[in-house]
Amino acid sequence: MHALMALTRANIKSYTRDRAAVFWTLAFPLVFIVLFGLIFQGSSSNLNLAWVDDDHSPQSAELRAAFAAQPGVTLVDTTQSDGISQMQVGKVDSVIVVPAGYGASVAASSTGTPGVPAQVPVYTDPSRPNVTAQVFQVAGAVFGVVNLAGRPPVVVPVVETVQTQNLNAISYFVPSMLGLSVMQVGIFAAIPLVADREKLILKRLAATPLRRWQLVGSNVLMRLLIAMVQAIIIVAVGSLAFGVEIVGSLLLTAGFVALGAVAFLSLGYVIASFAKTEDSANGMTSMIQFPMMFLSGAFFQIDQMPPFLQVIARLIPLTYLADALRQVMVGGAAFAPLWVCAAVLIGWLVVCFGIASQKFRWQ
Amino acid sequence: MQGLTGVASDAAIRVSGLTKRYGDLVAVDGIDFQVAHGEVFGLLGPNGAGKTTTVEILEGLRIQDGGTATVLGLDVATNAEAIKPRIGVSLQTAAMYPKLTVTEVIDLFRSFYVAPRSTEELIGLLELGERRNARTADLSGGQRQRLAVALALVNQPELVFLDEPTTGLDPAARRSLWDLVLSLKREGTTVLLTTHYMEEAEVLCDRLAIMDHGHILELGTVDELVSKRFKERAVRFDDDPALDDATLGALPAVASVKHDDDAVLLYTLDVAATIGALLAAAEAKGVEPKNLGVRRATLEDVFLDLTGRAMRD
Repeated sequence: MHALMALTRANIKSYTRDRAAVFWTLAFPLVFIVLFGLIFQGSSSNLNLAWVDDDHSPQSAELRAAFAAQPGVTLVDTTQSDGISQMQVGKVDSVIVVPAGYGASVAASSTGTPGVPAQVPVYTDPSRPNVTAQVFQVAGAVFGVVNLAGRPPVVVPVVETVQTQNLNAISYFVPSMLGLSVMQVGIFAAIPLVADREKLILKRLAATPLRRWQLVGSNVLMRLLIAMVQAIIIVAVGSLAFGVEIVGSLLLTAGFVALGAVAFLSLGYVIASFAKTEDSANGMTSMIQFPMMFLSGAFFQIDQMPPFLQVIARLIPLTYLADALRQVMVGGAAFAPLWVCAAVLIGWLVVCFGIASQKFRWQ
Repeated sequence: MQGLTGVASDAAIRVSGLTKRYGDLVAVDGIDFQVAHGEVFGLLGPNGAGKTTTVEILEGLRIQDGGTATVLGLDVATNAEAIKPRIGVSLQTAAMYPKLTVTEVIDLFRSFYVAPRSTEELIGLLELGERRNARTADLSGGQRQRLAVALALVNQPELVFLDEPTTGLDPAARRSLWDLVLSLKREGTTVLLTTHYMEEAEVLCDRLAIMDHGHILELGTVDELVSKRFKERAVRFDDDPALDDATLGALPAVASVKHDDDAVLLYTLDVAATIGALLAAAEAKGVEPKNLGVRRATLEDVFLDLTGRAMRD
């Protein structure tokens, strides 16, 4: 146990002192996310608002007319539950609910008896911060007229959230990027492994009582740790800087990050089994990483790819890791059920482990 | 010390018929030797002789194709895990984790053993104090070699394997490593070292095996190896005009007279008789031989005689 921990510590020190490795595994995904986030935040469009009138008073009709008069706003009259389901599938951007009693409340305030302000729920998707901002801009303009200056507010919006199935670009991209980073952490392990073998460090370790499972175990521990740090950074930046709300279980997210890291680490060992030099390990890593990156649906949705590429996409492990993370983190549409994603990753892990245990050479 | 034949039954290393092939190449071709406890044993030979392959089989890093080898009484083919905690190993290539410091690497290796030496002791022993916080990538060749030897001593091993431990070291560093090996010997540690430096073998090794092309050509103490082939020794002194070659050649037991720069060499089978007669002859002429000494053949001469070529060809 002592040796395992000491070796893990040594591996982590070697890693953190290798600026290039730190950049590619920690900074690079962030740079990507920030770039993507900035690109997709700039786009704006018309607002489709589901309009739910539970009051049916002259005041609510006035409010509807005020919203309808805002530029770029289209109102769809519906019920609250239908409005929310329409929003979930992306047909509307927001749902505004005028509750029963709204008219009475506004009337009471305008006669000079300030009471409790009328509550108007406004549903938005926080993972679409630009749309959310647009909705509140419109709502603010309308309610500002209603709430005459110098008076206590008569009406205030109540913020409600609902996760939409149609992910906007950044919500789609953040979990995808996490999957991609986890892949890199795993397969990039091949490079220091081959380097240590080339320098005969693995051979020197083989002459000590250290067991091979300790050597592999320390590598697994270290890679898991890096993957978790990545996950924390990416989730934090995604939610703090770009408002991507994590709707799912963090524990399940961590579970898929760990499973993905171990599966890709075993792929890293396969690369290290066939690469003789550090340079060839570098080349093979890139050769595997780039096609996987573009075919996994991390950047482009799989159902928009040509059919023959879809076949490949269905085979590669990153597809399932990224899909699982999108489902768990932001409630993205399922490409495959979670258990299938987990099973595919475990399958890759077992196959790669089998190949590596036959082919990997320590010296 | 043990002679050609006598090695105690509880030998530290016992090798018999050991063979290792790499494809068509027979790297080690059925060699036999034994190393006694507390002995410093050398494998001497040029690159490609099979020294490193032999050592790596004993270290448990390679499996032989034929023959048997026991280390500390344990069969290397079946008991490598029991052997490893008791031996120390310094490989020919002394690279280590390039981004870790000297103390970090030593502490890492200490974690592999049950009762390791202290980091301080190891750093002191190998004179690495000034470089303790340097990354191993920044060490000089000699410092890296010293670190490799320090790592071989972490577990206070009963048996230490040093593969070309002084290759690339400057003369001062080489001397200090020799002193270390001699102090290990004084403490009773058994050492198996490979080298292609004759002088190193002569200074350090109680016994040695001369290897070439996978075979052991000759095995014994330095004295045995030299005297077996070179019966004559040379009595040397500074050239003196009073003593001409005719006079010298007539002295008892002298086989031949040669001149080497300013020195005269009298090759003789009986050093005592020749020196006595030389001193008498000189006294008769009223002179005294200056810088009188006896020179014997070296391992270099032995290797040349065995293989017909010099060691580092």
